[in-house]
Amino acid sequence: MDRAAAWGLDFRYQNGMTGELFFPEIMGGGAALFDYDNDGDLDAFLVQGHPLAKGGPPSKGGRLFRNDLVALGKKNPEPRFVDVTEASGIRATGYGMGVAAGDFDNDGRIDLYLTNFGTNQLWRNKGDGRFEDVTAKAGADDPRWSVSASPVDLDRDGWLDLYIANYVDFSLENNVRCYAASSRRDYCGPSSFQPVPDRLLRNRGNGTFEDVSVRSGIARKAGPALGVVAADLDGNGWQDLYVANDGAPNFLWMNQRDFTFREEALFAGAALNAAGQPEASMGVTAGDMDGDGDDDLFLTHLTGEKNTLYVNLGDGLFEDRTAAAGLAAPSLPFTGFGTLWLDYDNDGWLDLLAANGAVRLLDDKARQGDSYPFAQRAQLFRNLGSGRFVEIPGGEAGAPFREEAVGRGVAFGDVDNDGDTDALVVNSNGPARLLINQVGSRRPWLGLRLTGPTGRDLLGARVTVFRKGAPALVRRAATDGSYGSANDPRVLVGLGDSSEVEKVRVNWPDGRSEIFPPPPLGRYTTLVQGEGIR
Amino acid sequence: MILRGFVLALLLSLPLAAQPADFTPVRHPDLAPLEKAVAEQIAAQQELLKALLADPAAKPAELADAFGDLGRVYHVYGLAAPAEDCYRNAARLAPDAPAWPHLLGVLLQGEGRLEEAAEAYARALALRPDDVPALVYRGEIFLSQGKLDDASGALQQALALEPATTAAKALLGQVALARRDFKEAVRLLEEALTEKPEANRLHYSLGLAYRGLGDRAKAGEHLAKAGAVGVAPADPLLDALSALRTGERVHIARGRTAFRAGRWADAAEQFRKAVAARPESVEARVNLGSALVQTGDADGAVVQFREALRLDPNNATAHFNLGVLLSGKGPTPEALDHLRAAVDRWPRDAEARRTLARLLRDAGRLEEALAEYGKAVELDPAEETAQLGSAETLVRLGRYGQARERLEESLRSLPGSGRLSHGLARLLAACPDVSVRDGARALDLGLAVWNALPLAAHAETVALAHAELGRCAEAAEWQRKALEAGRKEGFPADRLAALSATLATYERGEPCRPPG
Repeated sequence: MDRAAAWGLDFRYQNGMTGELFFPEIMGGGAALFDYDNDGDLDAFLVQGHPLAKGGPPSKGGRLFRNDLVALGKKNPEPRFVDVTEASGIRATGYGMGVAAGDFDNDGRIDLYLTNFGTNQLWRNKGDGRFEDVTAKAGADDPRWSVSASPVDLDRDGWLDLYIANYVDFSLENNVRCYAASSRRDYCGPSSFQPVPDRLLRNRGNGTFEDVSVRSGIARKAGPALGVVAADLDGNGWQDLYVANDGAPNFLWMNQRDFTFREEALFAGAALNAAGQPEASMGVTAGDMDGDGDDDLFLTHLTGEKNTLYVNLGDGLFEDRTAAAGLAAPSLPFTGFGTLWLDYDNDGWLDLLAANGAVRLLDDKARQGDSYPFAQRAQLFRNLGSGRFVEIPGGEAGAPFREEAVGRGVAFGDVDNDGDTDALVVNSNGPARLLINQVGSRRPWLGLRLTGPTGRDLLGARVTVFRKGAPALVRRAATDGSYGSANDPRVLVGLGDSSEVEKVRVNWPDGRSEIFPPPPLGRYTTLVQGEGIR
Repeated sequence: MILRGFVLALLLSLPLAAQPADFTPVRHPDLAPLEKAVAEQIAAQQELLKALLADPAAKPAELADAFGDLGRVYHVYGLAAPAEDCYRNAARLAPDAPAWPHLLGVLLQGEGRLEEAAEAYARALALRPDDVPALVYRGEIFLSQGKLDDASGALQQALALEPATTAAKALLGQVALARRDFKEAVRLLEEALTEKPEANRLHYSLGLAYRGLGDRAKAGEHLAKAGAVGVAPADPLLDALSALRTGERVHIARGRTAFRAGRWADAAEQFRKAVAARPESVEARVNLGSALVQTGDADGAVVQFREALRLDPNNATAHFNLGVLLSGKGPTPEALDHLRAAVDRWPRDAEARRTLARLLRDAGRLEEALAEYGKAVELDPAEETAQLGSAETLVRLGRYGQARERLEESLRSLPGSGRLSHGLARLLAACPDVSVRDGARALDLGLAVWNALPLAAHAETVALAHAELGRCAEAAEWQRKALEAGRKEGFPADRLAALSATLATYERGEPCRPPG
């Protein structure tokens, strides 16, 4: 059920299209669900576009919405969103593509990194409801076209580093005219421009970053990157990086433990699809979809290409099992963007949601007079637990999965704190939708916030929940993945039919692990590294 | 020209004749945004259909062909909705013709509507059981759906009908891979590659099959060979379809495909056709120029780039390509002007700046070159050519200490760079300013580079390092290696003579230190 309007999330991503068909118009934008005021509920930030042609009106800028959960007697509290952008001090007037969220200065408050077509911005959360632009001071800018970014502690020093996925070298000056197969003008694809290398920033721990893109090896390969996710993909306790490239082989940067990385996607079987073809990767997510304890990858792709499921064999090697999982055929007619492994029905198996929207003019819609003929419906896939998925029909999944929109970034999180994962979908030239999950909380669940002593969410921590009479579940604390969006850092574990947890083990990002007694079910609990349950 | 445009506009403004109620209404597209040649082609086909629909004596088979032919034209231009409508009408009018369900299947498969596509192929196969490509496409669909037994059945059937269907064999290899029957996958994919060695995409699946068998060496070998060329069954209906395409765009697209595959002459021919279709097309001329460069026709390329710039003086690609081409004759003012124009239009392009910097350096405009190299490195810190060029320019300026610092700094950021290591080794061994030299470090770096890549230039640098350390005998030994490697690498006589002269110096013994 879409509750955006009802709950005050009045936002429309405006791509600023003027008929010039500038490439960035078709690629934005994203959103973040993050608790900026530490009041226990998720607030929202949505990036904004604007006309790119010279002389156009200025951007209205990205918007920050504070979530004021309203108590409703015996019923669960309901969110009410209030636009607090002006008071927050955030002036995000670049051409917004995406947003990443993480506590970069270890003060227990989540900061925002905004990716733009143009210079990026790092907004430090001051803790009093206001943010300050520390981009220049921190050395965190990237003037190129960035879309997604991943906050991750790559060297286990207790500070979040930042991987910035950069796309292609497009500018208004080097714009070219592109054409559809019909010979009509259309938006360009990435092959019309040179890809640019990504950027890797090492957090020095003093409020500044060091650009280690070249030294780390990252800058040696340029790809048209749109998505990035950090995860320990070979099970050695160190965070690796997986980069979704649009129309080019994807990258798998394996952490060499000295802040250098080796690109191993081809041998790992995660660069190309099963037929050996690169795909137009947009969104990406990592999670343990088959319950074997390692993170599997899922990527969204262009119409005519399937979305792709790379199953982790446990040692950083992957197999494309999209077809066997039943995920190939249903995705072929759609162009997918934001996506995440989420257990929407809390049955203990990670499902998938994909926001869709074309990037090439849909002829039949154009013929019918649609002035923005790119809309497609979103899809929800249920994990049957057997390695196979089925698409939940729109009639069952709800109106947002029947009604078409030009879906782009999706931020996932439990917005109403009722124990299931909701989704904030950014639609290009359309209203944002807040899809409120109505089914997950019917099953037992466990909510965990994993922090260090300073209150920083320890992104990259892996939680193993040992259920009585059922297999253990492994989940990961992360805000990255999806497309240009930042997700709830809390870990929500659907327990399926099991209503008893024996213990919880956390593998912290610094390599240590810790066992916790079973936290209470049906509510969120904070586990603090070295300090127990708070 | 005006008259033709007027006639076309009239044609498009007329509605097609009313269609009988049992036909699927055709969702004809708006032709106005299409290239003129394409719109004219579609309009002409629409007119044929309209005339037949208006003719009470028209036979169903004739109408079927008219619908089908219009469907094919729509299909080839990616206009899927009207193409589908036309094919369905054609199939209804000519239920015994296998072509229309076959083409409908291809269309629907391309649209990702796999169930419907499989049904269409089934209808085509019912009419023509030996439709091998339809069997292969069905097999491909079943594979995408995870129906491995069905896929295997269809593909085996195709092979039984036509054993030379490599596409079926390759897909069977993928079926085996999906079943994790790696041994069978290797057998099938090896066979497919033997039959079609150009289908280098198969190396990917084969590499993964070897990986599954635990043979990492063979896996790596095949994965390294993986390319973009796949294999498809021979399909005369599809061949005829693609032959329908006309206009500038199709030739540009075909030219680019040929260019990417390294078929320069074919690419040039296609781009010539694009220019013929629309002489004022800057894109066609720039592409033609680029293809002509590859065929060795530099003069022809210059003509095309100049014409492109006459049509669009702001075209950065034409400026850049013309600048690069003209720079082959040295740093002429015209070459420099074009490269400067390219950089002005592409201020963030590291390659353009690096190319301009090289030309400025060759023209002796060293300070300007240094500035451009600096900007190139700033734009792309992994740009080792620019880093090296910057250091070389500093050497030419006599700023040897700065050159060393620049190389040291570059190597810190690109520690694995053989070219930067070699540049630094050469400077440390033979810098005209002897205070900059460090023979021992030069030797370490030089040996590392030689061990990684035993080239004549690298052996020569090791020799220089030994000479700098006063080890004339070792220097002579390495200089002999350099000479030997130089002969193998086809060095010109004057270069070999210079190496020999230096060898003689080393052989004479001390002092053999490179002159300061």
